[in-house]
Amino acid sequence: MRIAVSRLSPLLACLGLLVAWQLAAMLLHTDSFPTAWQAILTVPDVLGDRESLLNILDSIRRMVIGLTLAMLVSIPLGLMMGRSARVAAFFNPLLMMVYPVPKAALMPVIMLWLGVGDASKTLVIFLGVSLPVIYHSFQGAKAVEEKMLWSGAAMGLSAVQRMFRIVLPAALPEILTGCRTGLVLALITMVTSEMIARQSGAGNILFNAMDMAQYDTVFAMIIIIGALGIVLDAAFDKLRWRLVAWAEPRQDILLGAS
Amino acid sequence: MQVVSLRPEIGAETGKVSGQTRAPAMIDIESVSQRFEVSGRKSHLALSDINLSVADGAFVSILGPSGCGKSTLLYIVGGFVSPTEGVAKVKGNVITGPGPDRGPVFQEFALFPWKTVLGNVMYGLRQQGVKRAEAEAQSRRLIEMVGLKGYENFYPKELSGGMKQRVAIARTLAYHPSVLLMDEPFGALDAHTRTRLQNDLLNIWERDRKTVLFVTHSVDEAVFLSDKVVVMTRSPGRIKEIVDIDLPRPRRRAELLLDARYQKYVVDIERLIDDGRDDVVQP
Ligand SMILES: Nc1ncnc2c1ncn2[C@@H]1O[C@H](COP(=O)(O)OP(=O)(O)OP(=O)(O)O)[C@@H](O)[C@H]1O
Ligand SMILES: [Mg+2]
Repeated sequence: MRIAVSRLSPLLACLGLLVAWQLAAMLLHTDSFPTAWQAILTVPDVLGDRESLLNILDSIRRMVIGLTLAMLVSIPLGLMMGRSARVAAFFNPLLMMVYPVPKAALMPVIMLWLGVGDASKTLVIFLGVSLPVIYHSFQGAKAVEEKMLWSGAAMGLSAVQRMFRIVLPAALPEILTGCRTGLVLALITMVTSEMIARQSGAGNILFNAMDMAQYDTVFAMIIIIGALGIVLDAAFDKLRWRLVAWAEPRQDILLGAS
Repeated sequence: MQVVSLRPEIGAETGKVSGQTRAPAMIDIESVSQRFEVSGRKSHLALSDINLSVADGAFVSILGPSGCGKSTLLYIVGGFVSPTEGVAKVKGNVITGPGPDRGPVFQEFALFPWKTVLGNVMYGLRQQGVKRAEAEAQSRRLIEMVGLKGYENFYPKELSGGMKQRVAIARTLAYHPSVLLMDEPFGALDAHTRTRLQNDLLNIWERDRKTVLFVTHSVDEAVFLSDKVVVMTRSPGRIKEIVDIDLPRPRRRAELLLDARYQKYVVDIERLIDDGRDDVVQP
């Protein structure tokens, strides 16, 4: 019973939000705020349009590439920083400086160098994702118990093997927490980059519709992007769960397996 | 049958068969001192001028107050820490790092949390290139021996402290190190399991004749298990006395408890440890 409730609660939350939206729109009754129902009805139109669909797929492609590249660079960097004080001391000042800068604010400069195409947008996504992934990988690697590494060394694991076979799995729960934050940030930077470099993508459709006062489409796009975020996040959490079930207590493992 | 007390420097010679050529000792610790840099304050001397020789196949226990450097001494032999002064040797070779010939069982267990009990115990064997099926069969036998049959697929997080300790012991025994470095391996166990594992350890030791360096706080345990008991002083750790335990083997607990010689060893060693307490009130 409790499982059923916890499974349903996100759905209930969505439903509640839609009902609130519906009521608010009906009360306000203005053109620029369509009802939830109108927006939902517009979703198939947007997705059915070849042009729009290709735009959205473009966005997803850039996001996946940016996210993947960021993880490929940030996880090893974070792990090395966590295990070596010298590597950490070298990169820390740089990261401290980059950290508070909103990555989308770099977009104009990047566009100046790389144009308005894929390269600029993917780079911004890459930058947006990197920091939380580096930070969490760093924390995870730093917290690895030294005796665990010693045990591995006594079994004959080389330094490189210890990195891949002890530090990486031991830090994995923390790394994946960083990646989950990174995923959401990737989606945010994806849309932002397309708002700035209006050339293609989901963000582009949204703002074009806004310019043309097609408010149904605007809200339909918000629903699509929101749903994309929720689905990706849930899928990633499921994957994370499978990979690090060992870090959770027994009951949860049984539940997850069922 | 009296307690034979050897000064440390004489202890260093015990690998020698008198009058003949020196039998190769398994472990030689020569003038080892360990100093730790402590932030803020000046450095802290954890071990001071340790000389100890452990013959091949000997069972040697180390007793001493908390913080006297017992763990540090094991880490030095394990090759995890290099001493600030002096050298440690295994089979005559200076120790420069860890290796599968010396298997540690840490006070903190240090199990791999992402591996099941079976996965932990198999790890060293697989690393040494043993085929999966063979490694698994051997590991299952060991897991049964330490009394964890049925828990093969549990993760460390799901085990009690005592169970983790038994997994840690099995994990190290699995890859057949010739030297076992055991840091209070039975510390977290209930009296019953402790006695059982002591007997199991003695059986393994009598069968394989591994060299064992065994840290404990229990005088009983040290006397019951060991050929030699090393008593250390409070920080900075020095060797206060090395006591040869001259009791027949195989040893049986029930018989030993009634043996006057056993009791005398226990009392004498307890007195040695108590003595130390007077000269060390200041930190
Ligand atoms: N990495 C380190 N840095 C600084 N000081 C250390 C370090 N490791 C150990 N020490 C110090 O060295 C001394 C000996 O520590 P050690 O852990 O070897 O003691 P021990 O005899 O094993 O104690 P216990 O019986 O409580 O396990 C202690 O005073 C400790 O504070
Ligand atoms: Mg200790």
